[in-house]
Amino acid sequence: MMKSLSLRNNLVGYTFISPFVIGFLIFTLIPAAASLYFSFTDYDLLSAPNWIGLENYTSMFTSDDRYMQSLKVTMLYVFLGVPLRLIFALFVAMILNTTSKAVGLYRTVYYLPSIIGGSVAVSIMWRNLFGDQGVINVMLNSIGIDSVRWFGDPNAALFMLVTLSVWQFGSSMLIFLAGLKNIPTELYEASGVDGAGFFTKFFRITLPMLTPIILFNLIMQLISAFMTFVPAYIISKGEGGPLDGTLLYSLYLFRQAFVFFDMGYASAMAWVMLIIVGVLTAAVFATSKLWVHYETEGGR
Amino acid sequence: MKKQAKKVVLALMASALMLATACGSNAGTNSETGTNAGTNSGGGDKPITLRMAWWGSEARHEYTKKVIDLYKTKNPNVTIEVEYANYDDYWKKIAPQAAANELPDIMQIDTGYYAQYAGKGQLADLTPYFGKEIDVTNISENALNGGKLGDGVFGMNLGVNSLGFQYDPATLAKAGIDSIPENWSWDDYLSIAAKAKENGIYIDGGMRAEVFFGYYLRTVGKKLYNDAGNGLGYEDDQLFVDFFGKLADLVKSGAAPTPDTLAQIKGVEDDMTVKGTQVGVWQWSNQFVALQQAVNRPMEIAPMLNPGAKEGLYLKPSMFFSISKNSKAKEEAAKFINFFVNDAEANKLILGERGVPVSSVIKEELKPLLSPEQVQVFDYVAWSEANSSPMDPVDPIGAIEVFASLKSLTEQLNYGQISAEDAAKKFRSEAENVLKKNK
Repeated sequence: MMKSLSLRNNLVGYTFISPFVIGFLIFTLIPAAASLYFSFTDYDLLSAPNWIGLENYTSMFTSDDRYMQSLKVTMLYVFLGVPLRLIFALFVAMILNTTSKAVGLYRTVYYLPSIIGGSVAVSIMWRNLFGDQGVINVMLNSIGIDSVRWFGDPNAALFMLVTLSVWQFGSSMLIFLAGLKNIPTELYEASGVDGAGFFTKFFRITLPMLTPIILFNLIMQLISAFMTFVPAYIISKGEGGPLDGTLLYSLYLFRQAFVFFDMGYASAMAWVMLIIVGVLTAAVFATSKLWVHYETEGGR
Repeated sequence: MKKQAKKVVLALMASALMLATACGSNAGTNSETGTNAGTNSGGGDKPITLRMAWWGSEARHEYTKKVIDLYKTKNPNVTIEVEYANYDDYWKKIAPQAAANELPDIMQIDTGYYAQYAGKGQLADLTPYFGKEIDVTNISENALNGGKLGDGVFGMNLGVNSLGFQYDPATLAKAGIDSIPENWSWDDYLSIAAKAKENGIYIDGGMRAEVFFGYYLRTVGKKLYNDAGNGLGYEDDQLFVDFFGKLADLVKSGAAPTPDTLAQIKGVEDDMTVKGTQVGVWQWSNQFVALQQAVNRPMEIAPMLNPGAKEGLYLKPSMFFSISKNSKAKEEAAKFINFFVNDAEANKLILGERGVPVSSVIKEELKPLLSPEQVQVFDYVAWSEANSSPMDPVDPIGAIEVFASLKSLTEQLNYGQISAEDAAKKFRSEAENVLKKNK
């Protein structure tokens, strides 16, 4: 009697979580397991996979120059783009953390790029902005700098991708804004009475109080930056050019899977990326003891 | 602290929502179901539904749908569901369908991907339908064999293309050159390019690596791939150095645009042939009409470069229609393909947009309906027919990856980052790495 009652009680619970559980199984766990299996095969989408052991993994690091190039490009993109984006997001959040009446409108407006960032319209806009007669080059010329071939120079093209990523600072900005609102105003008032200026307040109060939020944003942005695909895809027309300068990891993975039909190799690449991201995230967590400041329970 | 956490969660949920909507809006596809247009009874035929997929431009989508409607009025029991996209998106849609054994009954395919699908048993052999559902009386053996792989023909050749130099005589005159000599050679080409450069005009926008290197190898009696399709078809890397070295020298001397100049071109409005700062473009004949329309001045087609132009030039199937192996209505699909290739009314809608028709009767029927530019294309292809050699076997599995490697290496060569000799060696090792899988 008791047993069936508890089963029935639990059943209600299971029913409530079933949409998530079923979705997780079908769309995450099973595909992930399949990709792990495929990563040890020569699966080509069109015929049955054959087991080839670790060959995909070894050839990645021994005989594929383009893989190394994509890894290099991605690292550059992440280590340039993420800090810049976070700094910019914090900067805008500080500006918006005021009591203007139009602040709601501003927040929406500044969030917009994050929504439309992956669209084809943006790539067309970017092509116009960075074209030979584009605004950027005209501005550079007006201050005496020669035009840059944004789409033709591999380093410039990657830098252009970084600016696109910085421009999509919306979600980090909102989170920073929420964090800023939570810093008690007494702290600023008290420090103001003690004669602290803007920079002292920023470095002694705002930043330390914000470190948990920075940690959160850093990890989220790190992960999403590694998975960046759409901007590189649309700006380089799916090829990662010029000279493989915008061949981000996911773009190369996509090309292996759906252009070259090497799904086994692409799966192996995906697992290597998971390991890289995992290690980096763990490293960030490990260092967080040194720089993240929690208000509660004696700094923990 | 609690309040803050709540805000973070809220913000996260909001952003997740935004992401979800942003993704959703990109996922639109161009699928529509055609309804049965005819109302008269089909004489007791049972209803049949076919799926058909192709890539192309907006214009191609429009007339193809009209052809389908025409077919449906003649065969009221047949319903055809269509899926279409541009070239890149098309292949990304088709690949997962193949993996799920859900390829459309009729699909358009081109020589680059042909071996990949036909060789892996995704497509049906059409030979049994030739002479039955598909009428081949007016189609030459050569044209049919364009889709030959092993013992089977897995694609119906929809039209033929030929290579040439499509140029604007007005720009040529501006570059200080009266005309292109009749049987022009590499030397003529290089001296014309040098002269055009003195007058500040580019000769061309480069040659598409895999297509024109393939041509060059044919002119000296070699092929890009060996017959087994598991390695390169030439042994002497000097051929690579000769061909790409010449092209790289043109770029270096300023007679052809540098790759970073080309990369800045946004679209037709920046195209240098349109602007009159470049004499012409080396490309396939079915691209001529669109180029001429963009340029909007009379244009000409010059033949390929000598020596060996006759050995090098070949007629290429512009694309195929194939029937998937899993199709449950192969005969019906074959009937539609027959209609597409042999029906005069249908071809009056198509007007050779998928390449010059393979049927000699249709070709004649279309002549009076063509615009002057289309006539130029038909004439050039007819001339090519008499001045070319049979095509090489279709590209082997992995060709797309070999092209990508060749493209990347020639790009590095034109940027001056690698010597022609090193590029030749690297291409050999990268290509053989891909092709050796085809044992």
